[in-house]
Amino acid sequence: MRKDRSLGNVIIARERLEAWIEAGWIAPGVATGKEPGLSEMDIARAQLICDLKDDLGVNDEGVEVILELLDQLYGLRCAMREMMESVVRRTEG
Amino acid sequence: MAIDPYQVLGVSKTASQEEIQKAYRKLAKKLHPDLNPGNKKAEEKFKDIGTAYDILGDPEKRARFDRGEIDATGAERPQRRYYREYADAGPQSAGAYSSDGGFADFADAGDVFADLFGRGARGRRNVRMRGGDISYRLEIEFLDAVNGAVQQLHMPDGSEIKVTIPAGTRDGQILRLKGKGQPGFNEGPPGDALIEIAVRPHPIFTRKGDDIHSELAISLGDAVLGGKVETPTTTGRVALTIPKGANTGTVLRLKGMGVPRQEGTRGDHLVTLKVMLPEHPDPELEKFVASWSGRNARPRQPAGS
Repeated sequence: MRKDRSLGNVIIARERLEAWIEAGWIAPGVATGKEPGLSEMDIARAQLICDLKDDLGVNDEGVEVILELLDQLYGLRCAMREMMESVVRRTEG
Repeated sequence: MAIDPYQVLGVSKTASQEEIQKAYRKLAKKLHPDLNPGNKKAEEKFKDIGTAYDILGDPEKRARFDRGEIDATGAERPQRRYYREYADAGPQSAGAYSSDGGFADFADAGDVFADLFGRGARGRRNVRMRGGDISYRLEIEFLDAVNGAVQQLHMPDGSEIKVTIPAGTRDGQILRLKGKGQPGFNEGPPGDALIEIAVRPHPIFTRKGDDIHSELAISLGDAVLGGKVETPTTTGRVALTIPKGANTGTVLRLKGMGVPRQEGTRGDHLVTLKVMLPEHPDPELEKFVASWSGRNARPRQPAGS
C-alpha cells in the first residue's frame, strides 16, 4: 500500500486524486487561474494528504479537519507576514 | 550519512513492526514540515525519520539491514517540495487554499486585516492601526490598596508613569491606563497599559470582600468587666468598647470602617477578640480562682466539637 518514494515523486492513484478533488480537498486550477490541471502546489498538497492518510494513520474526517486548520494557519501566517512588513515599513520610513 | 535507523526512531533492535510504526507516527506527527510551517529544522528531521522508517517499516528491508546487506544511506529519501513552500510563498499563491477563518472575527482590526489580506487589494499604504496593549505587574502595600495611593511605575523605555491606585483596589485587579501602551501605526491610536495589581499581605489586617479582619488581644480584666481598648484600623487607631463578659472569639463589628466601595460606602472592620491571661503567673489571681465557686464549671464546647 505504501507509495514508492525512491522514484523521487509520489505515485498517487487516479481514483484517489479524483475523490479528493470531489471532496474539495484539492482544487486544481484555482491557485493559478489556469485551466484545470494539477499545479505543483496541488501536487504538494496531495502529497501531504498521502502522508496524513498513509503514514500518520489519519482517517478522512481527520484529514478534513487538519486541512481546514492548516488553511487557517497559512492564512494567518500570510496575514501576519503582511502586517509585520507593514510595521517594518512604518518604522523605517 | 548513515545514522542508525533504530536510534532515529528511538526503538530497540527487537521492537515489533507495530512498535516501529507507532514510534514513526508519533515523530512524524510532530515533525511533518507542513504541520510545522515555522520550524525550519522540521524538514531535515522529518527526512531522517522517513529514511529510517523506509528501512525498518518494511520487514524485508529491515531483515536485510540487520544482516548488513544494505545500509541506511541506500534508502535516503530524495529531495521533495513540501506543501508549505507553496502555501507560505505569499498571498498570490496561497490564495487558493488559505482561509481567513482564523481571524475574520477581529472586528476592530477587521478592516486592517481585510486590507492586508484582501485578495488583490495590495495597495493599502495608509492602514491605521491601534498600538498593542502592554501588561505590567505592580506590587503595592496592603494599606495603599485599601486607602488608595499614587505610585510611580518605571517603564521599560526608562520613562515613568504615575499610576493612581483607587481606594479599595483588590489583589489581582487590572488597572487600564488609556493610551499608555505601544504607539499606533500610521496615526492609529496608542494601546493601553494594563497593570495587574498584586497586594502584599499585611501583618495585622486581612481582607475578605469589603471587610477587614483583625485580631485583638485583651486582658482578662477587660474581658470580664468590659472596658475601652485601642485597636488599629486601616485608617488609624480607634477606641473599641469591650462588652462585659467578652470571650476569645467574640467578634466586634466596626461599622463602615472597612474597605471603601466605589459608590462611596465602606465595608466593616471585624475585630476578633483574644483573651490573654497575664504573661507571668499571678499569685493573687491564682488565689482568687482557687476560691472561685465556678472554677470547675465545664466550658461550653464550641459547636461541632
